Amino acid sequence: MLVIVLENAPPRLRGRLAVWLLEVRAGVYVGQYSRRVREHIWSQVVEGIEGGNAVIAWSAKNEAGFEFKTLGKNRRMPVDFDGVQLVSFLPLPPADAL
Amino acid sequence: MSGLLPPLKPIPIKDRLSVVFIEHGEIDVLDGAFVVVDVKGIRTHIPVGGVACVMLEPGTRVSHRAAALAARVGTLLVWVGEAGVRLYSAGQPGGARSDRLLYQARLALDEVLRLKVVRKMYALRFGEEPPARRSVDQLRGIEGARVRRTYQLLAQRFGVNWKGRDYDTQEWDASDVANRCLSAATACLYGVTEAAVLAAGYAPAIGFIHTGKPLSFVYDIADVYKFETVVPVAFKVAASQPQGNVERAVRLGCRDVFRETRLLDRIIPDIEEILSAGEIPRPTAPDGAVGPAIPNPESLGDAGHRA
Repeated sequence: MLVIVLENAPPRLRGRLAVWLLEVRAGVYVGQYSRRVREHIWSQVVEGIEGGNAVIAWSAKNEAGFEFKTLGKNRRMPVDFDGVQLVSFLPLPPADAL
Repeated sequence: MSGLLPPLKPIPIKDRLSVVFIEHGEIDVLDGAFVVVDVKGIRTHIPVGGVACVMLEPGTRVSHRAAALAARVGTLLVWVGEAGVRLYSAGQPGGARSDRLLYQARLALDEVLRLKVVRKMYALRFGEEPPARRSVDQLRGIEGARVRRTYQLLAQRFGVNWKGRDYDTQEWDASDVANRCLSAATACLYGVTEAAVLAAGYAPAIGFIHTGKPLSFVYDIADVYKFETVVPVAFKVAASQPQGNVERAVRLGCRDVFRETRLLDRIIPDIEEILSAGEIPRPTAPDGAVGPAIPNPESLGDAGHRA
């Protein structure tokens, strides 16, 4: 099982992912592929994401049963808790930094 | 009524992650989720219902609501000190099943039954029947020698300098690396085992080989798996001459070995198998006893979980 979620991605990338994966909601793609195909699909995301951001999650033989990685800036970033992958939610930057 | 979610219930131990360690931060409930907030305001969700036990290290603070949420989803909270060694635990208090407690107590009180249970523990641990016609004391002597030999053999296999199990709970850094790795690794195993013993509905204090400690039964059960799981991990880490955070390397290794050996799938069925060696039925409620006025809600979780 493999899930990709895109945010602020250009339409051409969204169309490209729909070539292999099923878009079950806006920007949410689901499919079932081997590691090689998954890496191929992810390379397309890396090439085409521009200013947007993306996350991919897939079934894996670890304790959680899955792994994930992210691309681009997002307030949610992966953290490692002694081998358990969790997600940290960053606070909004102060107003004067914007 | 709209907007109300169904009540929270525990899920079985076998479907969970083994342990999550939280090093620092304020632990609270936000929008119903178990969240760690650090000094910079970074929030990290812990999937508390999907973990067998949460280890809280000295830099953490826990709110009332967070402890209540952990209790509702049947997750053991363990406050640990240096090297991840257990100080105090809460969350699932255990003792929810009188039939299991009475069963365990009867097995432990009767010398013949106790011997049967102890023999089963050794048989599972070493993969063969212990010698016949021995008392619990004699078995402990025989198996103690075997344990020391197993430590020796494993130390040799991983190339660790081993001078015997030795630690000072007052001063962890005084121990050698192999012993510190072992302490960190066994702390992980004890946490998971305590969560499983409580979830199965048994008393952690009523041991068969070990006695006189609040976790005697936990040590009994953990010993069944110790040489298969955490000792090789600890020696492997010690042999790699780790720089910096030894505990972290040990925890990563423990997580892998727990998954490979399917520890969380096996542990509750194994507890039942060990106790069933006594070949007595679980007690039924006495005639005329008053049952619950309000039937217990249906539970997804294990026998000892409070739904």
